[in-house]
Amino acid sequence: MTLFWLQLRGETRKLFARKRTFIGFGAFLVFEIVVLFLLRLPPVQRSLSGAIERMGYDPTQYLSGLTLGLLIVAWTVFLLEALFLALVAGDVVSKEVEDGTLRMMLCRPISRTRILTVKVIVALLYTIVLTLFVGLTALAVGLLNSGPGGLFVVDPPAGIFSFHDFWPGLTRYAIALPLLALSLCTVTLLAFCLSCFNMKPAAATIITLSLLFADVIVRSVPFFEGIRGWFLTTKMSAWIQVFQARVPWEMMVESYVFLLAINVTLFVIGWAVFERRDFKS
Amino acid sequence: MVRLERLSKSWRGCKALDSLSLEIAKGEIFGLLGHNGAGKSTTFGMMLGHVHPDEGDAFIDGHSVTQNRPRALEKVGAIFETPSFYDYMSGWQNLRFFVSLSGAVSRERMQDVLRLVGLEKRINDPVRTYSHGMRQRLALAQALLPDPDFILLDEPTEGLDPQGIREMREMILRLRDEHGLTILLSSHLLSEVEQLCDRVAILHQGRLMYCGNWRDARPEWELEVDAWEVADRVLAMLKVVRTDSHVALPDGLEIADVVAALVRGGVRVSRVQPYERTLENFYLERTTG
Repeated sequence: MTLFWLQLRGETRKLFARKRTFIGFGAFLVFEIVVLFLLRLPPVQRSLSGAIERMGYDPTQYLSGLTLGLLIVAWTVFLLEALFLALVAGDVVSKEVEDGTLRMMLCRPISRTRILTVKVIVALLYTIVLTLFVGLTALAVGLLNSGPGGLFVVDPPAGIFSFHDFWPGLTRYAIALPLLALSLCTVTLLAFCLSCFNMKPAAATIITLSLLFADVIVRSVPFFEGIRGWFLTTKMSAWIQVFQARVPWEMMVESYVFLLAINVTLFVIGWAVFERRDFKS
Repeated sequence: MVRLERLSKSWRGCKALDSLSLEIAKGEIFGLLGHNGAGKSTTFGMMLGHVHPDEGDAFIDGHSVTQNRPRALEKVGAIFETPSFYDYMSGWQNLRFFVSLSGAVSRERMQDVLRLVGLEKRINDPVRTYSHGMRQRLALAQALLPDPDFILLDEPTEGLDPQGIREMREMILRLRDEHGLTILLSSHLLSEVEQLCDRVAILHQGRLMYCGNWRDARPEWELEVDAWEVADRVLAMLKVVRTDSHVALPDGLEIADVVAALVRGGVRVSRVQPYERTLENFYLERTTG
């Protein structure tokens, strides 16, 4: 067990010794400020205020830092984080194969399963840390800009149109972040699984993103209305349900069990491929 | 110490290694020779568990690489012709990472090994600033850190300058003589192999052409005669094998007997001298048509 922690620490240090890891965090912060700037544009403000007013609520109370924080998180995750995670996780095995460092690792008396397990744990930890970072900085940016207030959440495809006071809203926000991180673990594992195959790192990233975009596009086609709930990205969107007036816990548990099964399957496929591969210069 | 048993491997239907069996004794420096594509890297890969053999197995210290790779590699170190490191990390961070894969190593041990390979001054610099020679030293350091009994050196002198080659040669000898390591070495620099190795194995198109101490191979002689046509008839009767101007004698036959027979057969022998065998010509004789 001590050796396992040593290996895990070594892999974590390796990840955080890389400039890209930190640049990523900085890039997300900059992106959040850009999103905030867009949300502060008068036409956008008018649109948001209008939506709140039509429901009979006071926009000055609900167009708050908490609301902006959630909007920033949703945009950042959709536009940037999935891409970034696919990029990082797509590199995990294939980049090391390409660079030859995996062969160096395999010269040591460590099983392939152990190497892969350590790598996947670090990739998942990175996903969680990055998501929490995005969530917390988005909240900070929102609060610094607009101060505390109620939370207004609108997501028509998910059937959400709800209002929460500041503290209940903040509590839900705090619950949503780890759930969002769990959802994004599927992106990480999909890219990770592909990177175990004999392909270039960029290919693993591109295929991951293509699969996710295809999933989003196909599920939005009206013919698939009846099975929309079974699409991967629908399951991954379960975290937003925590903002429903009455949280559908049963549906959320079902979604996360489904994602867990997918994640385990992806790891097993990646592991099986990795175990059978020959690594030669 | 090391035993390869009928190792075979094909790449997309092409036989890269054909039933290779050999043994390496403890404390030996063993050379693995062959042209590019002869199967050397495949052999190294199978010994380290990077490549799965189609048939056969490799045993290190009695442990099967295919059945229990971590156990078999417990006391093994390896370096490759182009050692790969994490360029964005320092030499020290790289070593600490690779060491963490097989257990902890004390700071003192790390410093001892760095002194041994002569890299202590630049160890905190990023690896991207290292020359090829420094990378080789770092690779050697990572191979030596876990205190191995057996090391595999795949083209360790590749890309080094003459000074670097000499230092690497001296280092390899020190590792065997002072640290008692068993060493498997592959190199295209046959003069280096000649100076270092106790025994060699020659691979050609995946097949083992020779294994042993090439210096002990049957002695050969160089002849100069006036009529090879006549001489060949005499040599054939004596079962002497001729290649160009040198001849290999069968067991029990002396060169004086051959010369006497040639003279009796009417052949004028103008020069007889022992054939000076180098590893290079020994190798080329076994790998070229």
